[in-house]
Amino acid sequence: MTGVLRAELLKLRTTRTAVWLFAGLLALVCFVVLLHGFNLSPSRADHSGQMRIFGWGELGALFAALLGAVSITGELRNGLVRPTFLATPRRQQVLAAKLLSAMLAGLAFGAAAEVLAIGLGSATLSARGIPIRLEGEDYAQLILGGVVAAALWAPVGLGVGASLRNQVPTLIGLCAWLLFVENLLIGELPAVARYLPGAAAAAIGGATITGEVPTDPPLLPPILGALLLAGYAAVAMIIGIAATERRDVP
Amino acid sequence: MRRSMRADETAARSSGNPVSLDGPARDPAVARTTSAADVVHVASLSKRYGEVVAADDVSFALPAGSVTGLLGPNGAGKTTVLRVLLGLAEPHKGEALILGRRYRDLDRPMHVVGAVLESGDFDPGRNGRDHLRVLAFAADVPQRRVDEALAVVGLARAAKRAVRTYSLGMRQRLTLAAALLGSPQLLVLDEPANGLDAKGVHWLRTFLRGFAADGGTVLVSSHVLAEIAQTVDHVVIVDRGHVVARSSLAELVADGKTLEEVYLALTSEDAA
Ligand SMILES: Nc1ncnc2c1ncn2[C@@H]1O[C@H](COP(=O)(O)OP(=O)(O)OP(=O)(O)O)[C@@H](O)[C@H]1O
Ligand SMILES: [Mg+2]
Repeated sequence: MTGVLRAELLKLRTTRTAVWLFAGLLALVCFVVLLHGFNLSPSRADHSGQMRIFGWGELGALFAALLGAVSITGELRNGLVRPTFLATPRRQQVLAAKLLSAMLAGLAFGAAAEVLAIGLGSATLSARGIPIRLEGEDYAQLILGGVVAAALWAPVGLGVGASLRNQVPTLIGLCAWLLFVENLLIGELPAVARYLPGAAAAAIGGATITGEVPTDPPLLPPILGALLLAGYAAVAMIIGIAATERRDVP
Repeated sequence: MRRSMRADETAARSSGNPVSLDGPARDPAVARTTSAADVVHVASLSKRYGEVVAADDVSFALPAGSVTGLLGPNGAGKTTVLRVLLGLAEPHKGEALILGRRYRDLDRPMHVVGAVLESGDFDPGRNGRDHLRVLAFAADVPQRRVDEALAVVGLARAAKRAVRTYSLGMRQRLTLAAALLGSPQLLVLDEPANGLDAKGVHWLRTFLRGFAADGGTVLVSSHVLAEIAQTVDHVVIVDRGHVVARSSLAELVADGKTLEEVYLALTSEDAA
Protein backbone atom coordinates (compact mmCIF):
# COMPACT_ATOMS: atom_id res chain seq x y z
CA MET A 1 0.00 0.00 0.00
CA THR A 2 2.80 2.48 0.76
CA GLY A 3 4.24 1.84 -2.70
CA VAL A 4 0.89 2.58 -4.29
CA LEU A 5 0.58 5.79 -2.26
CA ARG A 6 4.11 6.86 -3.19
CA ALA A 7 3.26 6.19 -6.83
CA GLU A 8 0.17 8.40 -6.62
CA LEU A 9 2.05 11.19 -4.84
CA LEU A 10 4.78 11.01 -7.48
CA LYS A 11 2.12 11.22 -10.20
CA LEU A 12 0.86 14.45 -8.62
CA ARG A 13 4.35 15.94 -8.62
CA THR A 14 5.50 14.90 -12.10
CA THR A 15 2.93 16.59 -14.31
CA ARG A 16 1.76 20.16 -14.33
CA THR A 17 -1.92 19.35 -13.77
CA ALA A 18 -1.90 20.03 -10.03
CA VAL A 19 0.20 23.16 -10.46
CA TRP A 20 -2.18 24.54 -13.09
CA LEU A 21 -5.21 23.82 -10.96
CA PHE A 22 -3.51 25.47 -7.99
CA ALA A 23 -2.62 28.55 -10.07
CA GLY A 24 -6.16 28.68 -11.45
CA LEU A 25 -7.58 28.52 -7.94
CA LEU A 26 -5.39 31.35 -6.65
CA ALA A 27 -6.14 33.51 -9.67
CA LEU A 28 -9.89 32.97 -9.29
CA VAL A 29 -9.79 33.72 -5.55
CA CYS A 30 -7.88 36.96 -6.25
CA PHE A 31 -10.40 37.97 -8.89
CA VAL A 32 -13.50 37.28 -6.82
CA VAL A 33 -12.18 38.72 -3.56
CA LEU A 34 -10.96 41.91 -5.22
CA LEU A 35 -14.23 42.30 -7.14
CA HIS A 36 -16.45 41.81 -4.11
CA GLY A 37 -14.08 43.64 -1.77
CA PHE A 38 -14.13 46.78 -3.85
CA ASN A 39 -17.86 46.57 -4.59
CA LEU A 40 -19.08 45.83 -1.09
CA SER A 41 -21.25 48.75 -0.07
CA PRO A 42 -20.18 50.09 3.35
CA SER A 43 -23.75 49.66 4.63
CA ARG A 44 -23.47 45.89 4.07
CA ALA A 45 -19.91 45.61 5.37
CA ASP A 46 -21.14 44.06 8.60
CA HIS A 47 -19.85 40.83 10.09
CA SER A 48 -21.74 38.51 7.72
CA GLY A 49 -20.98 40.64 4.66
CA GLN A 50 -17.28 40.44 5.48
CA MET A 51 -17.48 36.72 6.18
CA ARG A 52 -18.89 36.26 2.68
CA ILE A 53 -15.91 37.98 1.09
CA PHE A 54 -13.34 36.19 3.22
CA GLY A 55 -15.15 32.94 2.68
CA TRP A 56 -14.36 32.82 -1.03
CA GLY A 57 -11.36 30.71 -0.13
CA GLU A 58 -13.88 27.89 -0.18
CA LEU A 59 -13.32 27.80 -3.93
CA GLY A 60 -10.49 25.52 -2.79
CA ALA A 61 -13.17 22.84 -2.34
CA LEU A 62 -14.18 23.07 -6.01
CA PHE A 63 -10.58 22.83 -7.20
CA ALA A 64 -9.82 19.96 -4.82
CA ALA A 65 -12.83 18.17 -6.33
CA LEU A 66 -11.52 18.85 -9.84
CA LEU A 67 -8.10 17.49 -8.86
CA GLY A 68 -9.62 14.37 -7.32
CA ALA A 69 -11.71 13.83 -10.43
CA VAL A 70 -8.85 14.37 -12.87
CA SER A 71 -6.65 11.93 -10.97
CA ILE A 72 -8.85 9.13 -12.30
CA THR A 73 -10.56 10.54 -15.41
CA GLY A 74 -7.23 11.80 -16.74
CA GLU A 75 -5.80 8.27 -16.55
CA LEU A 76 -8.90 6.82 -18.15
CA ARG A 77 -8.52 9.37 -20.93
CA ASN A 78 -4.83 8.87 -21.73
CA GLY A 79 -4.76 5.15 -20.92
CA LEU A 80 -2.35 5.33 -17.97
CA VAL A 81 -5.06 3.51 -16.03
CA ARG A 82 -4.00 0.29 -17.79
CA PRO A 83 -0.40 0.17 -16.53
CA THR A 84 -1.68 1.48 -13.20
CA PHE A 85 -4.04 -1.48 -12.80
CA LEU A 86 -1.45 -3.89 -14.21
CA ALA A 87 0.92 -2.81 -11.44
CA THR A 88 -1.83 -2.84 -8.79
CA PRO A 89 -4.66 -5.13 -9.86
CA ARG A 90 -6.45 -4.63 -6.54
CA ARG A 91 -8.16 -1.57 -7.87
CA GLN A 92 -9.55 -0.38 -4.55
CA GLN A 93 -5.95 0.06 -3.36
CA VAL A 94 -5.29 2.42 -6.26
CA LEU A 95 -8.43 4.41 -5.45
CA ALA A 96 -7.53 4.49 -1.76
CA ALA A 97 -4.10 5.88 -2.64
CA LYS A 98 -5.68 8.44 -4.94
CA LEU A 99 -8.07 9.34 -2.13
CA LEU A 100 -5.20 10.06 0.27
CA SER A 101 -3.12 11.99 -2.24
CA ALA A 102 -6.10 14.05 -3.43
CA MET A 103 -7.07 14.82 0.17
CA LEU A 104 -3.50 15.94 0.92
CA ALA A 105 -3.56 18.20 -2.12
CA GLY A 106 -7.02 19.36 -1.05
CA LEU A 107 -5.65 20.40 2.37
CA ALA A 108 -3.04 22.53 0.65
CA PHE A 109 -5.56 23.98 -1.80
CA GLY A 110 -8.01 24.86 0.96
CA ALA A 111 -5.40 26.41 3.24
CA ALA A 112 -3.74 28.47 0.51
CA ALA A 113 -7.04 29.70 -0.94
CA GLU A 114 -8.45 30.72 2.44
CA VAL A 115 -5.26 32.47 3.59
CA LEU A 116 -5.17 34.33 0.28
CA ALA A 117 -8.83 35.33 0.57
CA ILE A 118 -8.36 36.62 4.11
CA GLY A 119 -5.16 38.48 3.30
CA LEU A 120 -6.43 40.05 0.12
CA GLY A 121 -9.88 40.74 1.58
CA SER A 122 -8.44 42.50 4.63
CA ALA A 123 -6.11 44.56 2.48
CA THR A 124 -8.94 45.58 0.17
CA LEU A 125 -11.33 46.57 2.95
CA SER A 126 -8.57 48.40 4.86
CA ALA A 127 -7.62 50.30 1.74
CA ARG A 128 -11.24 51.51 1.54
CA GLY A 129 -11.18 52.51 5.20
CA ILE A 130 -13.74 49.86 6.21
CA PRO A 131 -13.00 48.47 9.69
CA ILE A 132 -12.57 44.70 9.80
CA ARG A 133 -15.29 43.13 11.95
CA LEU A 134 -13.92 39.59 12.14
CA GLU A 135 -12.28 38.16 15.21
CA GLY A 136 -9.85 35.40 15.99
CA GLU A 137 -12.41 32.65 16.02
CA ASP A 138 -13.88 33.81 12.71
CA TYR A 139 -10.48 33.46 11.06
CA ALA A 140 -10.00 30.09 12.69
CA GLN A 141 -13.36 28.88 11.37
CA LEU A 142 -12.68 30.24 7.88
CA ILE A 143 -9.27 28.59 7.57
CA LEU A 144 -10.17 25.35 9.27
CA GLY A 145 -13.42 25.26 7.33
CA GLY A 146 -11.71 25.94 4.01
CA VAL A 147 -9.18 23.18 4.69
CA VAL A 148 -11.73 20.60 5.82
CA ALA A 149 -14.17 21.42 3.02
CA ALA A 150 -11.45 21.08 0.38
CA ALA A 151 -10.09 17.86 1.89
CA LEU A 152 -13.60 16.37 1.85
CA TRP A 153 -14.57 17.60 -1.61
CA ALA A 154 -11.48 15.92 -3.11
CA PRO A 155 -12.93 12.42 -2.54
CA VAL A 156 -16.34 13.60 -3.76
CA GLY A 157 -14.67 14.58 -7.06
CA LEU A 158 -12.66 11.34 -7.17
CA GLY A 159 -15.75 9.23 -6.53
CA VAL A 160 -17.79 11.07 -9.16
CA GLY A 161 -14.93 10.75 -11.66
CA ALA A 162 -14.51 7.03 -10.99
CA SER A 163 -18.26 6.54 -11.47
CA LEU A 164 -18.78 8.68 -14.57
CA ARG A 165 -15.32 7.90 -16.03
CA ASN A 166 -15.64 10.52 -18.74
CA GLN A 167 -13.46 13.55 -18.01
CA VAL A 168 -15.32 16.44 -19.62
CA PRO A 169 -18.81 15.66 -18.26
CA THR A 170 -17.30 15.03 -14.82
CA LEU A 171 -15.50 18.36 -14.64
CA ILE A 172 -18.41 20.32 -16.11
CA GLY A 173 -20.79 18.52 -13.77
CA LEU A 174 -18.77 19.37 -10.67
CA CYS A 175 -18.43 23.04 -11.64
CA ALA A 176 -22.07 23.35 -12.63
CA TRP A 177 -23.22 21.67 -9.43
CA LEU A 178 -21.19 23.81 -7.04
CA LEU A 179 -21.38 27.14 -8.79
CA PHE A 180 -24.84 26.96 -10.36
CA VAL A 181 -27.21 24.22 -9.22
CA GLU A 182 -26.68 24.65 -5.50
CA ASN A 183 -26.61 28.40 -5.96
CA LEU A 184 -30.16 28.27 -7.35
CA LEU A 185 -31.40 25.73 -4.85
CA ILE A 186 -30.10 27.57 -1.79
CA GLY A 187 -32.15 30.58 -2.90
CA GLU A 188 -35.30 28.70 -3.88
CA LEU A 189 -35.37 25.70 -1.55
CA PRO A 190 -33.13 26.45 1.43
CA ALA A 191 -34.82 23.86 3.64
CA VAL A 192 -33.59 21.11 1.33
CA ALA A 193 -30.50 22.74 -0.11
CA ARG A 194 -28.84 23.16 3.29
CA TYR A 195 -28.30 19.40 3.29
CA LEU A 196 -26.53 19.35 -0.10
CA PRO A 197 -22.74 18.88 -0.28
CA GLY A 198 -21.91 22.46 -1.33
CA ALA A 199 -24.00 23.92 1.47
CA ALA A 200 -22.44 21.45 3.89
CA ALA A 201 -18.99 22.72 2.84
CA ALA A 202 -20.19 26.28 3.32
CA ALA A 203 -21.52 25.43 6.76
CA ILE A 204 -18.09 24.23 7.87
CA GLY A 205 -16.41 27.51 7.00
CA GLY A 206 -19.29 29.74 7.99
CA ALA A 207 -19.65 31.32 4.55
CA THR A 208 -21.01 30.17 1.25
CA ILE A 209 -19.65 30.04 -2.25
CA THR A 210 -22.98 28.91 -3.59
CA GLY A 211 -24.94 32.09 -3.07
CA GLU A 212 -26.64 34.00 -0.26
CA VAL A 213 -26.22 32.59 3.21
CA PRO A 214 -29.70 31.39 4.04
CA THR A 215 -31.09 32.53 7.35
CA ASP A 216 -34.40 30.67 7.48
CA PRO A 217 -33.47 27.92 8.02
CA PRO A 218 -29.75 28.72 8.39
CA LEU A 219 -26.83 26.57 7.28
CA LEU A 220 -26.07 23.57 9.46
CA PRO A 221 -23.70 23.93 12.43
CA PRO A 222 -20.07 23.44 11.27
CA ILE A 223 -19.65 20.02 12.88
CA LEU A 224 -22.83 18.68 11.31
CA GLY A 225 -21.77 20.16 7.98
CA ALA A 226 -18.43 18.35 8.21
CA LEU A 227 -20.06 15.05 9.13
CA LEU A 228 -22.61 15.36 6.34
CA LEU A 229 -19.93 16.22 3.78
CA ALA A 230 -17.82 13.29 4.99
CA GLY A 231 -20.89 11.14 4.40
CA TYR A 232 -21.23 12.41 0.83
CA ALA A 233 -17.51 11.76 0.28
CA ALA A 234 -17.87 8.20 1.59
CA VAL A 235 -20.89 7.49 -0.61
CA ALA A 236 -19.17 8.91 -3.70
CA MET A 237 -16.06 6.81 -3.00
CA ILE A 238 -18.03 3.63 -2.38
CA ILE A 239 -19.92 4.02 -5.65
CA GLY A 240 -16.70 4.92 -7.49
CA ILE A 241 -14.80 1.93 -6.09
CA ALA A 242 -17.67 -0.48 -6.78
CA ALA A 243 -17.94 0.76 -10.37
CA THR A 244 -14.18 0.50 -10.88
CA GLU A 245 -13.97 -2.99 -9.43
CA ARG A 246 -16.86 -4.28 -11.49
CA ARG A 247 -16.35 -2.73 -14.91
CA ASP A 248 -13.71 -3.64 -17.46
CA VAL A 249 -10.80 -1.27 -17.76
CA PRO A 250 -11.40 0.51 -21.07
CA MET B 1 17.15 11.33 -31.93
CA ARG B 2 17.21 8.03 -33.73
CA ARG B 3 20.96 8.06 -33.76
CA SER B 4 21.28 8.74 -30.07
CA MET B 5 18.79 5.99 -29.29
CA ARG B 6 20.94 3.54 -31.17
CA ALA B 7 23.99 4.78 -29.36
CA ASP B 8 22.23 4.21 -26.06
CA GLU B 9 21.27 0.77 -27.07
CA THR B 10 24.75 -0.19 -28.19
CA ALA B 11 26.18 1.27 -25.02
CA ALA B 12 23.77 -0.71 -22.91
CA ARG B 13 24.79 -3.90 -24.62
CA SER B 14 28.54 -3.47 -24.93
CA SER B 15 28.96 -2.15 -21.39
CA GLY B 16 27.87 -5.51 -20.13
CA ASN B 17 24.98 -3.94 -18.29
CA PRO B 18 23.62 -6.69 -16.05
CA VAL B 19 20.13 -6.38 -17.46
CA SER B 20 20.88 -5.94 -21.15
CA LEU B 21 19.42 -8.53 -23.50
CA ASP B 22 19.58 -11.49 -21.22
CA GLY B 23 19.09 -9.30 -18.17
CA PRO B 24 15.96 -10.59 -16.50
CA ALA B 25 17.35 -14.12 -16.65
CA ARG B 26 20.48 -13.19 -14.73
CA ASP B 27 18.58 -11.30 -12.13
CA PRO B 28 18.97 -13.35 -8.96
CA ALA B 29 15.72 -11.88 -7.66
CA VAL B 30 13.83 -13.96 -10.19
CA ALA B 31 13.76 -17.70 -9.87
CA ARG B 32 12.32 -19.01 -13.11
CA THR B 33 9.73 -21.66 -12.59
CA THR B 34 10.41 -24.61 -14.80
CA SER B 35 7.76 -26.74 -13.20
CA ALA B 36 5.62 -28.92 -15.39
CA ALA B 37 2.62 -26.66 -14.81
CA ASP B 38 1.73 -24.35 -17.66
CA VAL B 39 2.68 -20.73 -17.19
CA VAL B 40 -0.46 -19.58 -18.99
CA HIS B 41 -3.65 -21.59 -19.02
CA VAL B 42 -6.60 -20.27 -21.01
CA ALA B 43 -9.68 -22.50 -20.88
CA SER B 44 -12.99 -22.08 -22.74
CA LEU B 45 -12.65 -18.33 -22.60
CA SER B 46 -15.57 -16.33 -24.01
CA LYS B 47 -16.00 -12.58 -24.07
CA ARG B 48 -18.86 -10.63 -25.64
CA TYR B 49 -19.16 -6.92 -26.31
CA GLY B 50 -22.87 -6.47 -26.86
CA GLU B 51 -23.63 -8.35 -30.06
CA VAL B 52 -19.98 -8.92 -30.91
CA VAL B 53 -18.49 -12.19 -29.69
CA ALA B 54 -14.88 -11.08 -29.41
CA ALA B 55 -13.63 -14.42 -28.04
CA ASP B 56 -15.56 -17.69 -28.21
CA ASP B 57 -14.41 -20.77 -26.35
CA VAL B 58 -10.72 -19.94 -26.66
CA SER B 59 -8.36 -22.45 -25.06
CA PHE B 60 -4.59 -22.77 -25.14
CA ALA B 61 -1.70 -23.30 -22.75
CA LEU B 62 1.86 -22.05 -22.73
CA PRO B 63 4.60 -24.22 -21.27
CA ALA B 64 7.53 -22.47 -19.60
CA GLY B 65 10.24 -21.39 -21.99
CA SER B 66 7.99 -21.23 -25.06
CA VAL B 67 7.52 -18.29 -27.39
CA THR B 68 3.99 -18.36 -28.75
CA GLY B 69 2.61 -16.16 -31.51
CA LEU B 70 -1.04 -15.16 -31.24
CA LEU B 71 -2.12 -14.49 -34.83
CA GLY B 72 -5.32 -13.50 -36.52
CA PRO B 73 -6.94 -10.82 -38.71
CA ASN B 74 -7.97 -7.41 -37.42
CA GLY B 75 -10.80 -7.82 -34.96
CA ALA B 76 -10.16 -11.54 -34.49
CA GLY B 77 -10.01 -11.17 -30.72
CA LYS B 78 -6.29 -11.21 -29.95
CA THR B 79 -6.28 -8.07 -27.83
CA THR B 80 -9.46 -9.23 -26.11
CA VAL B 81 -7.84 -12.49 -25.01
CA LEU B 82 -4.75 -10.65 -23.76
CA ARG B 83 -6.86 -8.10 -21.88
CA VAL B 84 -8.75 -10.88 -20.09
CA LEU B 85 -5.48 -12.67 -19.32
CA LEU B 86 -4.14 -9.43 -17.78
CA GLY B 87 -7.17 -8.87 -15.58
CA LEU B 88 -8.31 -5.76 -17.41
CA ALA B 89 -11.52 -7.37 -18.69
CA GLU B 90 -13.76 -10.01 -17.18
CA PRO B 91 -14.64 -13.06 -19.30
CA HIS B 92 -18.26 -14.15 -19.64
CA LYS B 93 -17.21 -17.76 -19.50
CA GLY B 94 -14.04 -19.71 -18.90
CA GLU B 95 -10.85 -18.55 -17.29
CA ALA B 96 -7.37 -17.32 -18.01
CA LEU B 97 -4.75 -18.24 -15.41
CA ILE B 98 -1.11 -17.32 -14.91
CA LEU B 99 0.80 -19.84 -12.80
CA GLY B 100 -2.55 -21.18 -11.72
CA ARG B 101 -3.99 -17.86 -10.58
CA ARG B 102 -6.06 -15.07 -12.08
CA TYR B 103 -3.95 -11.98 -12.79
CA ARG B 104 -5.93 -9.97 -10.26
CA ASP B 105 -5.06 -12.52 -7.58
CA LEU B 106 -1.30 -12.41 -8.16
CA ASP B 107 0.85 -10.79 -5.48
CA ARG B 108 3.13 -8.21 -7.04
CA PRO B 109 2.07 -9.18 -10.60
CA MET B 110 4.74 -7.14 -12.37
CA HIS B 111 7.33 -9.46 -10.84
CA VAL B 112 5.65 -12.30 -12.71
CA VAL B 113 4.23 -10.78 -15.88
CA GLY B 114 5.49 -7.98 -18.09
CA ALA B 115 2.84 -6.62 -20.44
CA VAL B 116 2.93 -4.44 -23.53
CA LEU B 117 -0.51 -3.34 -24.71
CA GLU B 118 -1.20 -2.06 -28.20
CA SER B 119 -2.16 1.40 -27.04
CA GLY B 120 0.41 3.90 -25.80
CA ASP B 121 -0.63 4.31 -22.19
CA PHE B 122 1.12 7.33 -20.74
CA ASP B 123 0.41 10.74 -19.38
CA PRO B 124 1.91 12.77 -22.25
CA GLY B 125 3.11 15.49 -19.87
CA ARG B 126 5.23 13.17 -17.72
CA ASN B 127 8.76 12.26 -18.75
CA GLY B 128 9.71 8.69 -19.54
CA ARG B 129 11.80 8.21 -16.46
CA ASP B 130 9.14 9.53 -14.10
CA HIS B 131 6.60 7.27 -15.81
CA LEU B 132 8.76 4.28 -14.92
CA ARG B 133 9.46 5.59 -11.41
CA VAL B 134 5.73 5.79 -10.76
CA LEU B 135 5.22 2.22 -11.95
CA ALA B 136 8.23 0.98 -9.98
CA PHE B 137 6.74 2.35 -6.76
CA ALA B 138 3.35 0.87 -7.52
CA ALA B 139 4.81 -2.50 -8.50
CA ASP B 140 7.14 -2.70 -5.51
CA VAL B 141 10.22 -2.79 -7.73
CA PRO B 142 13.49 -1.16 -6.58
CA GLN B 143 13.93 2.28 -8.14
CA ARG B 144 17.33 1.32 -9.58
CA ARG B 145 15.50 -0.91 -12.05
CA VAL B 146 14.19 2.26 -13.74
CA ASP B 147 17.53 3.31 -15.20
CA GLU B 148 18.46 -0.28 -15.95
CA ALA B 149 15.26 -0.80 -17.94
CA LEU B 150 15.72 2.52 -19.77
CA ALA B 151 19.20 1.42 -20.79
CA VAL B 152 18.00 -1.99 -21.97
CA VAL B 153 15.51 -0.47 -24.39
CA GLY B 154 17.87 2.32 -25.45
CA LEU B 155 15.93 5.25 -24.06
CA ALA B 156 18.46 6.58 -21.54
CA ARG B 157 19.05 9.85 -23.37
CA ALA B 158 15.39 10.65 -23.92
CA ALA B 159 14.43 9.67 -20.38
CA LYS B 160 13.98 13.22 -19.11
CA ARG B 161 11.79 14.38 -21.98
CA ALA B 162 8.01 14.50 -21.81
CA VAL B 163 6.49 11.45 -23.44
CA ARG B 164 4.48 13.73 -25.74
CA THR B 165 7.74 14.46 -27.58
CA TYR B 166 8.46 10.75 -28.19
CA SER B 167 8.16 9.10 -31.59
CA LEU B 168 5.95 6.02 -31.98
CA GLY B 169 8.92 3.68 -31.65
CA MET B 170 10.20 5.50 -28.58
CA ARG B 171 6.82 5.11 -26.91
CA GLN B 172 6.90 1.42 -27.74
CA ARG B 173 10.34 1.15 -26.18
CA LEU B 174 9.09 2.88 -23.05
CA THR B 175 6.22 0.40 -22.78
CA LEU B 176 8.73 -2.42 -23.13
CA ALA B 177 10.86 -0.89 -20.40
CA ALA B 178 7.81 -0.83 -18.12
CA ALA B 179 7.18 -4.50 -18.88
CA LEU B 180 10.77 -5.39 -17.92
CA LEU B 181 10.78 -3.42 -14.64
CA GLY B 182 9.83 -6.34 -12.43
CA SER B 183 12.18 -8.86 -14.14
CA PRO B 184 9.17 -11.02 -15.02
CA GLN B 185 9.16 -14.63 -16.12
CA LEU B 186 6.29 -14.13 -18.58
CA LEU B 187 5.98 -11.46 -21.25
CA VAL B 188 2.59 -10.70 -22.80
CA LEU B 189 3.06 -8.46 -25.80
CA ASP B 190 0.39 -7.03 -28.08
CA GLU B 191 1.99 -5.90 -31.35
CA PRO B 192 5.30 -5.09 -29.66
CA ALA B 193 7.11 -4.38 -32.94
CA ASN B 194 4.61 -1.66 -33.80
CA GLY B 195 6.62 1.42 -34.77
CA LEU B 196 10.03 -0.06 -34.03
CA ASP B 197 12.75 0.64 -36.59
CA ALA B 198 14.67 -2.19 -38.27
CA LYS B 199 17.25 -2.23 -35.54
CA GLY B 200 14.59 -2.20 -32.87
CA VAL B 201 12.79 -5.16 -34.47
CA HIS B 202 16.03 -7.08 -34.62
CA TRP B 203 16.79 -6.22 -31.01
CA LEU B 204 13.30 -7.34 -29.94
CA ARG B 205 13.59 -10.66 -31.74
CA THR B 206 16.99 -11.36 -30.20
CA PHE B 207 15.72 -10.27 -26.83
CA LEU B 208 12.69 -12.56 -26.92
CA ARG B 209 14.73 -15.56 -28.04
CA GLY B 210 17.26 -14.95 -25.27
CA PHE B 211 14.48 -14.44 -22.75
CA ALA B 212 12.93 -17.79 -23.68
CA ALA B 213 16.28 -19.56 -23.79
CA ASP B 214 16.71 -18.57 -20.16
CA GLY B 215 13.40 -20.15 -19.26
CA GLY B 216 11.11 -17.15 -19.77
CA THR B 217 7.77 -17.57 -21.49
CA VAL B 218 6.45 -15.22 -24.17
CA LEU B 219 2.99 -14.67 -25.65
CA VAL B 220 3.16 -12.21 -28.52
CA SER B 221 0.47 -11.05 -30.92
CA SER B 222 1.48 -9.80 -34.31
CA HIS B 223 0.42 -9.29 -37.92
CA VAL B 224 3.93 -9.39 -39.31
CA LEU B 225 4.07 -13.06 -40.25
CA ALA B 226 7.63 -12.97 -41.56
CA GLU B 227 8.76 -11.55 -38.24
CA ILE B 228 6.70 -14.02 -36.25
CA ALA B 229 8.08 -16.94 -38.26
CA GLN B 230 11.55 -15.98 -37.10
CA THR B 231 10.65 -15.43 -33.47
CA VAL B 232 8.10 -17.96 -32.23
CA ASP B 233 8.13 -21.69 -31.74
CA HIS B 234 4.36 -22.09 -31.23
CA VAL B 235 1.38 -20.41 -32.82
CA VAL B 236 -2.24 -19.90 -31.87
CA ILE B 237 -4.32 -18.57 -34.76
CA VAL B 238 -7.68 -16.98 -33.99
CA ASP B 239 -10.35 -15.94 -36.44
CA ARG B 240 -13.60 -14.19 -35.46
CA GLY B 241 -13.10 -15.15 -31.85
CA HIS B 242 -12.38 -18.84 -32.52
CA VAL B 243 -9.10 -20.69 -32.31
CA VAL B 244 -8.53 -22.16 -35.78
CA ALA B 245 -5.03 -23.50 -35.25
CA ARG B 246 -2.90 -24.28 -32.25
CA SER B 247 0.38 -26.08 -32.71
CA SER B 248 4.12 -25.78 -32.90
CA LEU B 249 5.38 -23.73 -35.81
CA ALA B 250 7.30 -26.73 -37.13
CA GLU B 251 4.15 -28.87 -37.29
CA LEU B 252 2.13 -26.11 -38.89
CA VAL B 253 4.49 -25.70 -41.82
CA ALA B 254 5.42 -29.40 -41.97
CA ASP B 255 4.15 -30.07 -45.49
CA GLY B 256 6.35 -27.44 -47.08
CA LYS B 257 3.91 -24.52 -46.88
CA THR B 258 4.94 -21.14 -45.50
CA LEU B 259 3.34 -19.71 -42.37
CA GLU B 260 1.67 -17.10 -44.57
CA GLU B 261 0.06 -19.73 -46.82
CA VAL B 262 -1.29 -21.66 -43.85
CA TYR B 263 -2.50 -18.46 -42.20
CA LEU B 264 -4.31 -17.19 -45.28
CA ALA B 265 -6.02 -20.54 -45.78
CA LEU B 266 -7.29 -20.60 -42.19
CA THR B 267 -8.52 -17.05 -41.69
CA SER B 268 -11.39 -15.08 -43.23
CA GLU B 269 -10.97 -12.07 -45.46
CA ASP B 270 -13.12 -9.43 -43.75
CA ALA B 271 -12.24 -7.90 -40.44
CA ALA B 272 -14.64 -9.19 -37.80
N1 LIG C 1 -14.38 -2.34 -25.66
C1 LIG C 1 -15.00 -2.89 -26.72
N2 LIG C 1 -16.29 -2.58 -26.97
C2 LIG C 1 -16.93 -3.13 -28.01
N3 LIG C 1 -16.38 -3.98 -28.87
C3 LIG C 1 -15.10 -4.32 -28.68
C4 LIG C 1 -14.34 -3.79 -27.61
N4 LIG C 1 -13.09 -4.30 -27.67
C5 LIG C 1 -13.08 -5.11 -28.74
N5 LIG C 1 -14.28 -5.14 -29.36
C6 LIG C 1 -14.63 -5.94 -30.54
O1 LIG C 1 -14.17 -7.24 -30.32
C7 LIG C 1 -13.63 -7.78 -31.51
C8 LIG C 1 -12.21 -8.24 -31.23
O2 LIG C 1 -11.41 -7.11 -31.03
P1 LIG C 1 -9.86 -7.20 -30.64
O3 LIG C 1 -9.40 -5.84 -30.33
O4 LIG C 1 -9.69 -8.26 -29.64
O5 LIG C 1 -9.24 -7.68 -32.04
P2 LIG C 1 -7.71 -7.90 -32.43
O6 LIG C 1 -7.58 -9.31 -32.85
O7 LIG C 1 -6.83 -7.42 -31.35
O8 LIG C 1 -7.59 -6.97 -33.70
P3 LIG C 1 -6.34 -6.11 -34.24
O9 LIG C 1 -5.50 -7.04 -35.02
O10 LIG C 1 -6.98 -5.10 -35.14
O11 LIG C 1 -5.66 -5.50 -33.08
C9 LIG C 1 -13.75 -6.70 -32.56
O12 LIG C 1 -14.90 -6.95 -33.32
C10 LIG C 1 -13.93 -5.44 -31.77
O13 LIG C 1 -14.72 -4.54 -32.49
MG1 LIG D 1 -5.45 -5.94 -31.22
